[in-house]
Amino acid sequence: MKKIIITFLLSAGLFSSCTDLEVTPTSFVTEDNYFKTQDDAVASVTAVYASLSLDPGEQSLFGRNLYFLTDMATDYAAAGVSATNPQVRALSSLTHDATSDRVQVAWRQIYAGINRANVSIDNIPKVAGTEAVKNRLILESKFIRALLYFQAVRLWGGVPIVLHEPTSIQLESLKSKRATVEEVYVQIISDLKDAESLPSTYPATDAGRATSGAAKAILAKVYLTRKDWANAISKSREVINGGYGYALFENFQDIFTKTKKNGKEHIFSVQFEPNQAGNGSSGSTFQATSFTGFTATEPADIISDVALFYDIYEPGDTRRDVSYAKQLLNPATGTLYTFPKPIFKKYLDLTNLATPANVAINFPVIRYADILLSLAEAINEQGGPTAEAYELINQVRRRAFAKPITTPDATVDLSGLTQATFRAAIQEERKKEFVQEGQRWYDLVRWGTLVTEVKKVTAKNSVSERNNLYPIPQSERNIDPVGLPQNPGY
Amino acid sequence: MKKILKIYSILFLLLLTAGINAQNTTPLIQSKLDGTVVDAVTNQPIIGASVIIKGTTHGVQTDTEGKFYFQTGQKLPYTLIVTYIGYKKAEVVVDKNPVIINLKEERQELDELVVVGYGSQKRKDITGSVASVPKANLSQVTSSADNLLRGAVPGVVVTQSSGRPGASSSVRIRGGNSITAGNEPLYVLDGILIYNDNNNGTAGVANAGASVNVLSTINPTDIESIEVLKDASATAIYGSRGANGVVIITTKKGTKGQDNISYQGYFGFQNVSKKLHLMDASQWASLRNDVQASIGQAPSFTQAQIEAFKTSGSYDWQDAVFRTAAPIQNHQLTFSGGDDRSRYTISAGYFDQDGVVIATDFKRISLRANYERNYSQKFKFGVNANYTNSASNGIGTNGGASAGRQPNPLVVALYQPPVVPIKNADGSYNLTNNPYATATNGIIPNPINDLENTTNETKINRILTSLFGEYKFNKELTAKVAVSGDVIDTKQNYYAPSTTTMGAGTKGLASVGDRRVSSVLNENTLNYNTNFGDNHKFSALAGYTLQYTKGEVVNAGSQYFVNDANTYNALQDGVPVKPYSEAFESVLKSWLARVNYSYKGKYNFTLSGRADGSSRFGSESLWGYFPSAGFSWNITDEEFANNIKGVTEAKLRLTAGTTGNQEIGNYLSLASMGSVNYAFGGTLATGLAPTRLANPDLKWEKTNQYNIGLDLSLLDRKINFVFDVYYKKTNDLLINVPVPLTSGYATVLQNIGGVENRGLEIGLNTENVKTENFSWNSNFVFSTNKNKVVSIGNGVDQFFPVVPNGSLLQQQPVIVKVGLPLGTFWGYRTNGIFQTQEEINTQPKINSLANTKIGDRKYVDTNGDGVITALDKGNLGTSQPKFVGSFSNTISYNDFDLNFSFQGAYGGKVFNALNQQLEISTLGTNAAETLVDRWTPTNPSNEIPRASSSPLGIVSERYVEDASFLRLKLITLGYTLPKSVSKKLGTKSVKFYISAENLITWTKYTGFDPEVSSYEQNNLYPGIDFGSYPNSKTFISGLNVTF
Repeated sequence: MKKIIITFLLSAGLFSSCTDLEVTPTSFVTEDNYFKTQDDAVASVTAVYASLSLDPGEQSLFGRNLYFLTDMATDYAAAGVSATNPQVRALSSLTHDATSDRVQVAWRQIYAGINRANVSIDNIPKVAGTEAVKNRLILESKFIRALLYFQAVRLWGGVPIVLHEPTSIQLESLKSKRATVEEVYVQIISDLKDAESLPSTYPATDAGRATSGAAKAILAKVYLTRKDWANAISKSREVINGGYGYALFENFQDIFTKTKKNGKEHIFSVQFEPNQAGNGSSGSTFQATSFTGFTATEPADIISDVALFYDIYEPGDTRRDVSYAKQLLNPATGTLYTFPKPIFKKYLDLTNLATPANVAINFPVIRYADILLSLAEAINEQGGPTAEAYELINQVRRRAFAKPITTPDATVDLSGLTQATFRAAIQEERKKEFVQEGQRWYDLVRWGTLVTEVKKVTAKNSVSERNNLYPIPQSERNIDPVGLPQNPGY
Repeated sequence: MKKILKIYSILFLLLLTAGINAQNTTPLIQSKLDGTVVDAVTNQPIIGASVIIKGTTHGVQTDTEGKFYFQTGQKLPYTLIVTYIGYKKAEVVVDKNPVIINLKEERQELDELVVVGYGSQKRKDITGSVASVPKANLSQVTSSADNLLRGAVPGVVVTQSSGRPGASSSVRIRGGNSITAGNEPLYVLDGILIYNDNNNGTAGVANAGASVNVLSTINPTDIESIEVLKDASATAIYGSRGANGVVIITTKKGTKGQDNISYQGYFGFQNVSKKLHLMDASQWASLRNDVQASIGQAPSFTQAQIEAFKTSGSYDWQDAVFRTAAPIQNHQLTFSGGDDRSRYTISAGYFDQDGVVIATDFKRISLRANYERNYSQKFKFGVNANYTNSASNGIGTNGGASAGRQPNPLVVALYQPPVVPIKNADGSYNLTNNPYATATNGIIPNPINDLENTTNETKINRILTSLFGEYKFNKELTAKVAVSGDVIDTKQNYYAPSTTTMGAGTKGLASVGDRRVSSVLNENTLNYNTNFGDNHKFSALAGYTLQYTKGEVVNAGSQYFVNDANTYNALQDGVPVKPYSEAFESVLKSWLARVNYSYKGKYNFTLSGRADGSSRFGSESLWGYFPSAGFSWNITDEEFANNIKGVTEAKLRLTAGTTGNQEIGNYLSLASMGSVNYAFGGTLATGLAPTRLANPDLKWEKTNQYNIGLDLSLLDRKINFVFDVYYKKTNDLLINVPVPLTSGYATVLQNIGGVENRGLEIGLNTENVKTENFSWNSNFVFSTNKNKVVSIGNGVDQFFPVVPNGSLLQQQPVIVKVGLPLGTFWGYRTNGIFQTQEEINTQPKINSLANTKIGDRKYVDTNGDGVITALDKGNLGTSQPKFVGSFSNTISYNDFDLNFSFQGAYGGKVFNALNQQLEISTLGTNAAETLVDRWTPTNPSNEIPRASSSPLGIVSERYVEDASFLRLKLITLGYTLPKSVSKKLGTKSVKFYISAENLITWTKYTGFDPEVSSYEQNNLYPGIDFGSYPNSKTFISGLNVTF
């Protein structure tokens, strides 16, 4: 009998010793087994890039969520019938407020990307690996961080500056106050100046990474935005004359052709490939939202006013039919289908119309034509048009009209303009050139013409001066109302 | 682990063999006795009563006519002890042969044996708050065991989040303690501890819909009894899993002395309990014209067309989505019985229910066997084995953040414009003719087609087995060892053909998933019972338990199929999507102890404690300690109480204790990295990004609970009254605290804050009439719980939980705020409609002057700053009702019996998000019929605003509706054949019945059903109705036969 009791108790004791309370997860990577090797460093920077194009469960930042703020909420684009999210419709009519989910998502995605960059910058120095590679990875992270802050400072004004990964989970240490616009730009310029030391090219297998030229190009845009004409001019010239080999594609369509991605005109593009999100989606949803098949159904993304934005292209300007499609060949029937209203076309893969979620067309963040027009703009603002400025804008125009790019051509070249009319010409050219490229809102705000231009579209007459900035998301202000004062008008 | 189990099973066998020694002796045969045992009131024979000759071990059972027979060495006169469940024990001196023994029905409620944690106790000795579900409730017709708790005992609130067959309910005992962690009670099924984690019912396959309730895998007709443990004295023995209350379910066991075969079956049908009022074609066409006018576009319908719709009629998508007279059936065959030393039950069941929404159903096959054997007088062993196989077809549920206004096919069907045909002239589904929706690959999704043609199948196999051995060392000391296993295997199949919403973009979308969770539980307990003299009764329990859980999940998918022929069974024929696999394990070790002491049966003391070590917590806080103390006083045993007239029994209970909550999921204290992709040079590279911050201090939520109770029986126990008041305070709440997005993270899981619950519970059970052929019993249950957030730490006093739905995400309908209950709705108050430009110019507006037009809605400027901003939002009420109650009656007259029960809740609110969305005028979706009365220059409504293009959804008191209701939950009329007739049929008893569930509901709520929660078990945003699967009215007829 005693034996039984003893074995009974013993058995319980044995059982207790067998299992440890510390269980090791096997399904995800923890901090403990990360940031050891160079491969870890590479993977962490891959994630920094991925913040531009992929957010599981949400649409991508570039190629979608920024589009609502930088394009749909301007004059030329609007929400079609198929856009059922009332928050999107509100942005289209400029009646959005601080609770706008698209504004909040853009804010979240931008800061998630900044945090990933911070994590890489903080941790890569401690991994084992080649110093040169580690240094390059840190600079790539700084480039992306600057690119994201550059979006944020223009969208919201002085935003919080966060430069390191969180070290505590206490709320107070996770809060960050709004900095001034000036402070944000100082940070952006500092990161971009570091990133100027990036390689100017990569092997083909690494195409798409940030280059020295890309850093200089974004820096030129930063100076242009700040109306620092002298620096904008010198930095643009470094991009043009720095031996990077940038040039305009002869054919405007090539910019959006998937076989020409990362070509000579592309300075920095967000890369899209099929299956990126793991569910077959390319991340960019432009094809699905611009094209609803050969039907009369209005897509989610539409042109707001055909007369104001489609009919304006001069005869022979190839940009119209690359940017918009009035007609499209239906491969199933072999006949041309005419849409009730021109649809957006830049991101349609005509070889792949059947599978809209599988489009592999990159989103150009900055391309050579932008640098040419930026330099022309800066020169003109500094002291009126010069021969160099004319040549820059005319190269862009000649390419648009499918003429030899460097050969003067009186049929398309501009000449004899005043500073004001040259400015107007630049503005007109950018409107036609950068449809759906995330430029329009930034341009209009930079020129101070947002309200007057957008008001020309009847359905958008709610626009007011408040729209020169977006509201700080209400959910952020709920947590930190003191550190995050709201922008005027919201 | 495996090795140890092996060693363990050997020890278990050793224990088995240890009990072989003791043997019974057979008496010499000298005299004979014939007898009958009958009910003292009805004179009906009592079958299966145990008759023992006092002073011997010689005992027999009465047969089907209540007769028994002795051949014994004893000489007359001698004393017989007669016992039968539900009757008072009788000791009868027998001096003649034959004999008739009358048994009186037991009304000694306080003497009944009640199942408690790790044992049973006389109700009289219990100090804690333990309620038993009345037998009448257990005979309800339902697909899931948790529904049996509905309105059954005070303090338990069951909300069915979805009327889908087999779907889950949320069960709250005494309110929710926790904000983020689980709030479901712990279930103990025949001694096996189960947390009803609905995650176990899903393998994570895309769009699989509301998770399938794991409790639905238990056949409700197998259940013998359900006890609900509510206060800390009762639940602290379950330590870290006791804070949300404990539900102990005991399944039916065979009875000694007779073998029964019984069949229980019913068949019936269900209809949706309510339909919504939506616009017809003519109304909608006119609305669309007005919306177009508001944005300066030409009308799309002429007045003649609008008139024509009145005669040509509408396409009723709502009708198309619901099934009428959806069949439901259940069949159960049970073999049970036993002899002196063994008892057994073997049962098989089949349940089949079609949902009221097309293409949804639930089928279950269940097999169960239990066997118990007294090997010797000292050693007893047994086995319980359950196998269930269930299969259900569901619909997608409220989607993720990007789902926008497309929550599920049911709601999408409601959104369809009534001018769009459902089918083409040839009978096929209309997939092209809809100018108001987007085509993908030439297909315009049709929600009816989506429902009919999408495969969305969940199949669950569950094996739940336990073995136990119990050895009685002597009169005082008993040891029990139990080993149980619970294996849940969930397979999901999903296929959306190329003609459906989900499949159109990718030419078919298939996924399959499997989730296998197995849990092994070993429990070793020692029980010691002794009396010191007549006055001191002492018992003690000590034990050690260990539970090890391991889960594996895998799912894979494919798309771009050549055709839809092979659906999900040929993933290799498509382009694969990223596969997923996951594994997790958790360990819970516990030491437990309990001491009961009773002085003269008057004063009872209980002390219990449990130490739990859980692998789920941070390295700094693996172990938690959960003590409790209870005291009860049987006042009527005092001499001074003897003279109080009418009071038969009175007992006062006082308890206090601490329990915990560990239901937070695995590994959450660790930082984690997640994978993302980016393409370099056209090739995808895998990146790793941080997804969660580490919290090594992550620890248990602890709930301190205090309870005062009074049990009162009056008029010879014709009136029984149970009264409890309690106070619960939960500290170290686990909260996913929203943090600034600028940190790179959205939330961080932390132990901060506290929630308190205080409440009052009344149970009143009365025997209104009792005569030979007529009886009427009533059960009245009332409970009220007041929940309040005490603190949420971090120096903040409120946060808005993230509701995972595109439309609701930014509306932030729910607030967690110190001083207010969980589930508080937060929004604006409306103030009529702007009627003139003058009003717009002078009164506060929600948008800028330019945006606000005549006919827009006004809101109340609560802070008086002249503009309507988020600061003007306020408390619009909570989803938690002020009180809930039920009133059940059982009436029997001769061979007829009638059961009916009312249930109700008062004071709770529901945010009718579906109605809010339906009252948004758009160009492409149908709207609520209320918009017919919208503001127009000729109809200056002060309630419904003008038509405009997709105005923003705004949370206001208009959509936070009163969800109070009173419902005739169940009414059943039964007829039992007279014994004489049933005997002729060769049966022991035959009963027919008809029953109706949810027959009548009185409520002001305008949605499908006031008992709703679109987000299932979630405690942060309960009571949101975004088009949940509606409840149904069910009518059934049934037959119970025992052979």
